[in-house]
Amino acid sequence: MSKLNAADIQGFVLRGYTFPVARFLFLEVSQENGQEFVGRLVGQIATGDLWHKKPQSTVNIAFTYKGLVNLKLPTQPLLSFPVEFVQGMKERAWVLCDKGRNSAQYWDPMWNEEQVHAWLAVYAESAQELEKRCLELQELMQVTRGAAVIGSQDAGMLKIDEHYCAKEHFGYSDGFGNPDYLGVERKTQPGQGKLGRGGNWAPLATGELLLGYLDEAGELPAAPVPSLLAKNGTFMVYRKLHQNVATFRKYLEVQGRRYPGGREKLAAKFIGRWRDGTPVELSPDHSDQALVRDPGRSTNFTYGNDLTGQRCPIGAHVRRMNPRDALGFNGALVNRRRITRRGLPYGVFTPEHAQAKDEDEHGIIFMALNASIRRQFEFVCQQWIEFGNDARQGSEKDILVGNHEGGGTFMVQGTEDPSNPPFLCGHLPNFVLLRGGDYFFVPSITALKMIGTGTVDPY
Amino acid sequence: MSNQSGSIYGLTILSPIREDSDSEIPHNVAIRAYLAALPRDQRSPFAHVSSTHMARLAVLDDVAYSGIPAFGEYLATQYLVFEANFDGDLGVYLARMAQKTPRFVDSLWKHCVGYPGVADVRAFVDYMRKCQVESTFYFADVNDKTVDQTLCALQTQRSVSAFILENQGKRGVELQKAFVGFLRSLGHTAPAKLGAAVERF
Repeated sequence: MSKLNAADIQGFVLRGYTFPVARFLFLEVSQENGQEFVGRLVGQIATGDLWHKKPQSTVNIAFTYKGLVNLKLPTQPLLSFPVEFVQGMKERAWVLCDKGRNSAQYWDPMWNEEQVHAWLAVYAESAQELEKRCLELQELMQVTRGAAVIGSQDAGMLKIDEHYCAKEHFGYSDGFGNPDYLGVERKTQPGQGKLGRGGNWAPLATGELLLGYLDEAGELPAAPVPSLLAKNGTFMVYRKLHQNVATFRKYLEVQGRRYPGGREKLAAKFIGRWRDGTPVELSPDHSDQALVRDPGRSTNFTYGNDLTGQRCPIGAHVRRMNPRDALGFNGALVNRRRITRRGLPYGVFTPEHAQAKDEDEHGIIFMALNASIRRQFEFVCQQWIEFGNDARQGSEKDILVGNHEGGGTFMVQGTEDPSNPPFLCGHLPNFVLLRGGDYFFVPSITALKMIGTGTVDPY
Repeated sequence: MSNQSGSIYGLTILSPIREDSDSEIPHNVAIRAYLAALPRDQRSPFAHVSSTHMARLAVLDDVAYSGIPAFGEYLATQYLVFEANFDGDLGVYLARMAQKTPRFVDSLWKHCVGYPGVADVRAFVDYMRKCQVESTFYFADVNDKTVDQTLCALQTQRSVSAFILENQGKRGVELQKAFVGFLRSLGHTAPAKLGAAVERF
């Protein structure tokens, strides 16, 4: 297919900005003046156009179903949105296994006490630029009386030893696995798309990410009407995931003392990558920075020759989230379940040698983009995180983000090599807790203009 | 035979529902009310028919043809649909239903045309066979393992996990001693076999 019209797509959808700081403002949109606010904001929205010069900050916006109602979309388009989006994340708890300590009663108060209508994301090069842009946006809200901030969430790259880096609070390097899509211009490397018959990698169909394009089934993904409202838009899942750093470190320490391969190797087996990002599948015995830095190799691997998990455990986090060829059929079963992640950590990193507390502000703002929340994100969550059948791991959940509720096991498959023995981790605590979130529609620039001018034609 | 996949039997029964203008409430409504109140957990009547992998009951009002061009095509009657995947022989299974869950069977099929009751088990089995249609699909999770084998495997898996958690890292003789004890305990905790043999029909 030809190149996408990047100027019509919100930039956040097509690529990660790699800004060090961000703030997500949650808005209540006014029924009376919401359209005017959106209309006057459109010119500020960062698009997917390539930058000649990187800006100091960017703005993007997305809406919940209730937000679109307040923005007075006509009834027909409103009724045409997929049911999971209309229901919102809280009502999808039964699919997502958001129960126990992950249930809504434990979420940040905003998600229960307020009605979140919009997510307004500001990314910036510095804290000063972030404040400046947020103030400008606040002014626009006040001038138009179109929206009010009901909550906010700061996030950003973690600073370790005074340097921003791509690590998260458990100490793992993150952000390797986003898929390639047809027509999306980005720096790409083997292993990020879908597996071809000859073992080569090709971009996924655009319709796995964007509405209005053919997906991997050769169909147009279900989308709202009119098609102009949907085209170049997508859906976003926002989940605030608190990380119990003390629990994780203690668990790893205790289990690592018992595991003959040692703590760091066990940490690598949990995730499928060593903490510096080295893929365990390619380097099962030690981390290898040369491999991490080599774009030809760092994501270029499959599990077909390791179906018993002797190198990378079958239940390792990255293997569950993207099984590549492990489910057979040359990876075809996976291509309809890929999501694009735009997550960022929040809170301040606690160095390994310092005492961490679970209640400290540590976590990840998980944001996933996909054409179908139900078919992509919800399937991954329900079947690959909270259940283990596809991975032939029975009822085992994903070790890192599974809602274990104090039970559950994680099997590290092994060999007869004394440094790589089979090992079973039991009594899994929740390393991660859900603190809130919702489902959002990320409109195209055209759609934002239609919303802002109240000209969404229902027919 | 399409009703049989390995050791698993796929049963589909369509029993025509009575149309009786004298009845206080329509039979299909009565069936629906009964089904709605039926427990779906361990109190389900199928818990007494322990060779059941899955069972589903529904009222089929009509069928809709959705092809192009669409045309009206209607069933002559409503049906009680009963689908089940179970281990072994059909006659044994139906007889077990009649003998272990007579009130349940009666409460449903008394609303169906030609139902002979459960007092005469052979008559009930014959009636159900007459209502049977060929099954071509099975519950996706069913493999060629019996319910007993599946439960045994799950229990063994759990027990092995517990054993490993308690004993991994132990050496030689100590580990072997624990394992021998574990194997012995496994034999004692296997799920009870199905009840006494039921007469074949």
